[in-house]
Parts: sequence; structure tokens; C-alpha cells
Amino acid sequence: MPNATRNPPETGGGIDFGAALPGASGNETAAGRERIAVRNLNFYYGSHQVLFEVQETVHEHEILALIGPSGCGKSTFLRCLNRMNDTIPGSRLEGEVALDGRNIYGPGVDVIALRRRVGMIFQRSNPFPFTIAANVAYGLKVNGLARRRSEFEAVIERSLRAAGLWDEVKDRLDKPALSLSGGQQQRLCIARALAVEPEILLMDEPASALDPITTTRIEELAIELKARYSIVIVTHNLQQAARISDRTSFFLMGRVVETDATRKLFTNPSRQETEDYITGRFG
Amino acid sequence: MLFRKLMAALASIVAIVLLILVGFLAIYAWPAIRFNGLHFLVKNNWSLGFLYSDPILRHGQQVMPGAHYGILFLIAGTLLSTAIAVLLAVPIGVGAALFLAEGVPALLRPWLSFFIELLAAIPSVVYGLWGLVVVIPFLGHHVFPAMQKWLGFIPFFRGPAGSGYGLLTSGLVLTLMIVPLITATLRDALVSQQSHLRDAALALGASRYEALWTVQLPGVRRVLIGSSILATGRALGETMAVLMVSGNALNVMPNNIYTTISTMASFIVSQLDSALTDPTGMAVKSLAEVALVLCLISIVVNSLARVLLLYQDRMTFGVI
Repeated sequence: MPNATRNPPETGGGIDFGAALPGASGNETAAGRERIAVRNLNFYYGSHQVLFEVQETVHEHEILALIGPSGCGKSTFLRCLNRMNDTIPGSRLEGEVALDGRNIYGPGVDVIALRRRVGMIFQRSNPFPFTIAANVAYGLKVNGLARRRSEFEAVIERSLRAAGLWDEVKDRLDKPALSLSGGQQQRLCIARALAVEPEILLMDEPASALDPITTTRIEELAIELKARYSIVIVTHNLQQAARISDRTSFFLMGRVVETDATRKLFTNPSRQETEDYITGRFG
Repeated sequence: MLFRKLMAALASIVAIVLLILVGFLAIYAWPAIRFNGLHFLVKNNWSLGFLYSDPILRHGQQVMPGAHYGILFLIAGTLLSTAIAVLLAVPIGVGAALFLAEGVPALLRPWLSFFIELLAAIPSVVYGLWGLVVVIPFLGHHVFPAMQKWLGFIPFFRGPAGSGYGLLTSGLVLTLMIVPLITATLRDALVSQQSHLRDAALALGASRYEALWTVQLPGVRRVLIGSSILATGRALGETMAVLMVSGNALNVMPNNIYTTISTMASFIVSQLDSALTDPTGMAVKSLAEVALVLCLISIVVNSLARVLLLYQDRMTFGVI
């Protein structure tokens, strides 16, 4: 099994992901430089194949939405992009996921450095049972990115501001994160992810458990963040995909049926399955 | 409405039973409490007196001549053996739980978990018998002499290595009994919380070990504290197993970890037979006072742990 994920060591002097390779950014498009290129990705849980020959690209400063019915593999695909599936026993991957031209499943890759560059927001907000400040500081601390208290404080404030949460929590940074409301918790998780200064943000249905007003806030936030990051967002909510994304990918039964500019895909899809799905005939 | 009242009644039964139990003990032991005074807690002179002569009157109480009851050595034996057991069992239990939740191949996990739960279900007398037949000869002949030789520079490891019965053996048998309690509870908690907190940590660039130590374990610290309290309670109150391996010391304070000891719970059992022959009843009432002290110690330990639980939300790892 070529490129199978018998997990290479997660630490150690692997390939440095700190800088892009010269010439790796050859595919300039209108949306910006190509950051992630997925080629012929097959993914298996044991003998059960979940993804089939997936091709995908993610560009700088764009929001790519992944839509499709439950169980179509979009979350699994998302988790392939920062190797979160490594933790699932019996999982196996074939094909290539290149970040700035370098295969993240290649030999000697530093998974920890990779995950710092490709951050993730989960469907269920999952703050640590620490204080609000300690949640934001966590990534800095485990990665040794800050030492002095003033450095921590600066990053905590900047991250919470970027996540639009600062004004609500600045007076109670030492309170437990679990005392926040659901929407605040999710924005805290976003702040926590931003604190380690990722380049790409993966969002796995980040607003599916939130009320409409909070959902709007998260969507506005995603659009703001687009200026600095590339965002891949999995969503069940077609309106959400249409509202915020630049391009949309339609997944069906482990295959990418169609990827196109969002406006085009929602108004004039090339494939019959896509039209059936977005017009609500199934799913 | 009726349902609510029913539930409230059921819930209050527990509290009422505890009050009745402690209240009964206190009332029953009251003559002994009056007779023994503070000596009970600070002296090492438990003696039932001359049980075949006639009772005499002392401090306004009918007692046997020569009878006095001082249980400091019991308190020491109980607290020390429990402390040894908890100090050893918490790290072992945590390690075993982490291993079961994270380190074991999925196929093996149910089997190992099953065996751990089985360990918790074995009656304590079996542990005691095993300790008596297997552990004591081994410790007494091989381990303790070696420890005395190589670890003798540490204060409480010095002195005669003894026969194998005693403080350390009791502590070790208790450890074995309470490790499964901690492991089983903690493993369940880890398995139920692990993926979402672990994923969050991994996605931020933590390694598996960092995720375990900094997030997953702190995430179950309430459970850890809770199961440690239960385990401490079990160790404090354990009777049969300790009775069989402690050496049943009387009126001696343990001065190293090989010394024979007695614990309060096992002492009540071992003395009850003789105490019942005391025509004044003061001996049994003094044993009831031992039970009362044991209850109070358990209540204090539990209350301390409650306080710890109240403050644990403020604890985080490291800075800020």
C-alpha cells in the first residue's frame, strides 16, 4: 500500500513546513495562489472505502465549502487535510495531499508542525476544561511559541479580538471556559485555533449546533478571516455555503461530483446529481 | 407532585441512615467516651483488664480492674497503611486507565477491562488469604531484607525487616484492592470524553502524550478525585484482608514500614470476641468508639476531597 498511513513519527526532525518551496506556487488563479492540492485520494476505514479518487484544490484567501448528504465523506475528507484521521485505528489512505507542493503524507513529515499550520474547528465546540485564557494559550504553550506572560497576554487578546469575543470576555479571562454560552464557546475554539497562527482553517460544521444569530456571527467571522487565511468549511446548510463560500464542492458517496464557483454551482450546476441535491430532491 | 415527594423521601433516606448510624454509635459509645476521655486518642494502652475479677467503679463507670483503652496505634496503623495504598494506587491506577483507554489495541481492550473489573469484584478475604500464603513469605524472606539493605538510608526503611507481616504488606495488599476501583472508573471517563478533547489538542499541534497529560487527564480530574475518595474509603475500612497480613500489633506505634500494625476496622473484628466477655460492656462500647472515630475520619477525608473538588475548576496546567 503506497503512501499508507502507518503513521510516521509525529515529532522529530522531519521536513520543515515553515516555508513554502520556491516554485510550489505555480498555479496562480484569480482566487489566489494554490495552497492545498489533493490528488487521487482514496481513504479506507478498515476494508470499507470512504473516499474515491478525490481531486481538490484550496487557494489562498478563499472559502471552499464542502456540501453533500450525511455520510458522503466530506468530514472524513476535511480530516485528511491535517491528518486528524491518523488517530483512527485501521484507517488507511492512498494518494496525495500536497500543502504548498509537498505531500503531507510523505515520509518524514512533522505532523505537529502540519497541524499548527492547518488549524481545525470542530462541529461540537470543545473548549478545554480550563479558564478562558488558558484555552487560548494552550497551543502556544504546547508548541513553545511564547514564554513570557506578556507574550501570552498579547496573543490571547489578539486572538479573542479576531474571533470577535474579546469584548464579551475581557473581564473574566480567568473564569472557566465551560461557563460561556454555546456560541461563545465555539468562538473561543476559533480564537484558540487562531492563536497558533495557522495558514489554513478547517471548519467541520462549525455552526450546526448554534442558533441562527450566533450562526450569522460565525459566518461573518469566517468572511473576515478569509482575508488572512484559506478556509475549508463542511456544512449541511446549503444557504450557508451559498452565503459565505467562493467555491463549493459537492460530495456524494465518497466522490466529488462537482467543484465550481459557488454562484455557478448553485445556479447552473453541470451535473444532474448536483442539481437534484441543491433543489432538495434528495439528501 | 407525589412523584417529587417520593423522590425526595428516597433521597433523604441516605442522609437519614448516615445520621442514624453515627447517632446510634455515639449514643451507644457515650459511656466509653466519658470514661476514656482524650486518653483514647493519644495513648497506646488498649487492655480489657482482668476479665475474671469483679467490676470496679472508676470515673463513675463500672469497668473491669486494669481496663484502659488507648488507640493511637490503631489510628496510626490505619492512616499509614491507607496512605501507602493511596499513594501507590493513584499513579498505578491512572497509568493503567490511560493504557486501557489509549494504548491497548481495540481488540484486547474489552478483555483487559474485564479482568480489571474482576479484580475489583474479588472478595477481600481472598486477597487476605493470598497475601498470607504468597505475598508474606516472599516479602519477608526476599524483598524486605533486600530493601533494608539497599534502602536502609531512607528513614522509615531502616530497622528490623521483620517477618513479612506489617505496615508495608498491608499497604501493598490494599493497593492491589483499590487500583481496580480507580482504573475502571477513570477508564470509563476517559473513553467517554477522549475523542473531542483529544482532537482539539491534536489539532492545535499537541502530541498524543501532551494531549493525554495536559487535556484528557485534566478533563477527568473530577472523576480521578472522586474515585480516589472511594478508594481511600475502601482502604480505611478494609477489614479482613488487612487483619490477615498486618500482624495484629497491639499497643505499639509503627516506627518503620516493616512494623506490624493493626487498623481500626480489623481491630474491631479481632477484639470483638474477647470484648463481649466483659460483663460491664465497657470493652464493646470502647470498640464502638473505635468505629465512631473511623467514621469521623472517613467523613473528614470525604469533606476534604469535597473542598478539593470545589477548587479544582480553578486549576489549570502551567501559566495563566
